[in-house]
Amino acid sequence: MRTARWLLPLLLLAGLCWRFPLVHFVPLKAAQQIKAAAAFDATQFAADFWISRLSPAARTAVPANVLLPAIQADPAAAKKRFSRSVGLGTDYFYFFCGTGRVVALTDDAISLACTAGSTNAEVALQTGLVFGDAIRDGTGLLNVNDYPDSQNFNDISAALDHLVETQVLPGLRQQARIGVTLSFAGCAEIDDEDSDLNPLKVIPVATRVTSPP
Amino acid sequence: MKLSWQIFAAALVLATPLLCPPMASAQTPSGGKIAVVVSTLNNPWFVVLSQTARQRAVDLGYDATIFDSQNDTAKEAANFDNIIAAGYQAILFNPTDANGSVANVLKAKAAGIPVFCIDREINSTNAATAQLLSDSYAGCVKLGRYFVKTVGQSGNYVELLGLVGDNNTWNRSKGFHSVVDRYPGLKMVAQQSGEFDRAKGLEVMEAMLQAHPDINAVFCGNDAMAMGAYQALVTAGKADQVKVFGFDGADDVVKLIAAGKITATGMQFPKLMARQSAEFADAYLKGRRDFPQKIPVPVELVTRENVSRFGDYGKK
Repeated sequence: MRTARWLLPLLLLAGLCWRFPLVHFVPLKAAQQIKAAAAFDATQFAADFWISRLSPAARTAVPANVLLPAIQADPAAAKKRFSRSVGLGTDYFYFFCGTGRVVALTDDAISLACTAGSTNAEVALQTGLVFGDAIRDGTGLLNVNDYPDSQNFNDISAALDHLVETQVLPGLRQQARIGVTLSFAGCAEIDDEDSDLNPLKVIPVATRVTSPP
Repeated sequence: MKLSWQIFAAALVLATPLLCPPMASAQTPSGGKIAVVVSTLNNPWFVVLSQTARQRAVDLGYDATIFDSQNDTAKEAANFDNIIAAGYQAILFNPTDANGSVANVLKAKAAGIPVFCIDREINSTNAATAQLLSDSYAGCVKLGRYFVKTVGQSGNYVELLGLVGDNNTWNRSKGFHSVVDRYPGLKMVAQQSGEFDRAKGLEVMEAMLQAHPDINAVFCGNDAMAMGAYQALVTAGKADQVKVFGFDGADDVVKLIAAGKITATGMQFPKLMARQSAEFADAYLKGRRDFPQKIPVPVELVTRENVSRFGDYGKK
């Protein structure tokens, strides 16, 4: 009789535990797959961003024939009008596009004269290893506030830099010759105005040969 | 009788400051109390961060108190409970753990207390009122480039990581490796956490030197560990052979860079962040609400070439 009195609640409890288990056992491999699926995929994000947002924006970036004379005339005014900066930083970025004639070639840079009649290197397209946040922060298209974990935001930088190295630079290095005219779009980071403004050191996101030498 | 009158007068003079309200309270714009919660006070950099935040809050007319979380999220939670119960109006917060600290900030938010994160991030964009964060990744990209320039494109090195639960640890490590890993000749032979702590950094570096006596450099996730690593190298007689790289801009490391003993660090500007956080809290308590969620603060490379421009946890 006493056993029967406890049997019903015990059965009820067992039923509840079966229906709503307190502990779930998941195979380690499955758990890892779930975690990987939930993780931010910076490589995929960068590839999508490149096609859907960066490439269209590159076509409408500030023209070099506007920016370069503006910097030459008044660097502070040009900075105020055309640059972007992030947070409390003193570094700033230009996102611009233009056309220029190749006047010098080194292992790490292709120098262009861009303004009419110029034979000086006014823009140096960086063709070595690409590091840093110039593409991510220079375009103004991505906002750190959209990323709760800054590690994801930083992973985007590395992924965009990788795309520049793999998608843009190989073709550029192959086609660049002294005297060739190139169209380009890209971002320049200004850390030290004494050394970074002349020539502007640009990480290219798009380049095309417009006329042979 | 004469004597007792003199005693009464003296007592009156001594008691006057106790009877009158303090000047700070008389000038307080909102009569508020601000709490400064810091991850640890066992590191001079965080002492500067917290004391600067506190001092700026006091200068703005608030009563300000520092709470030490001792790198322990449980202690941090207890600090938040006490702060909420004590009726503080704002919290200037240096978190212990990017994920583990979110609940504490949400608790304060639910109690109507704005929280301003300093230096370290929490993994949420709807908990803190604003977050002033050192751009550790960009800073360590700069350090990585200088590392390659000074160590060369080949050699063995070790890395001392910070606290594994803190985003700064990984942002620094990833920024550094985004550069250094591109040079196959540079080989990381060991990587271990020194928990952002000088004594732990010393201990880990000693063990690493036992296992890898032939290293050319050590990259440390903060300056406290860099000091510990340097101390281990001095003891082992290798201080002249192994280049030490830190991160923070701590005064003792900046001095050792000037003396040619440590190679480089990243200056984080703790005073700038701390003062700004107190000013944000003041602005909030006066009605401002439009704060950007995350405000990156630049990190500058400090080397022997430019060290004369730096000191006292910032630029001269």
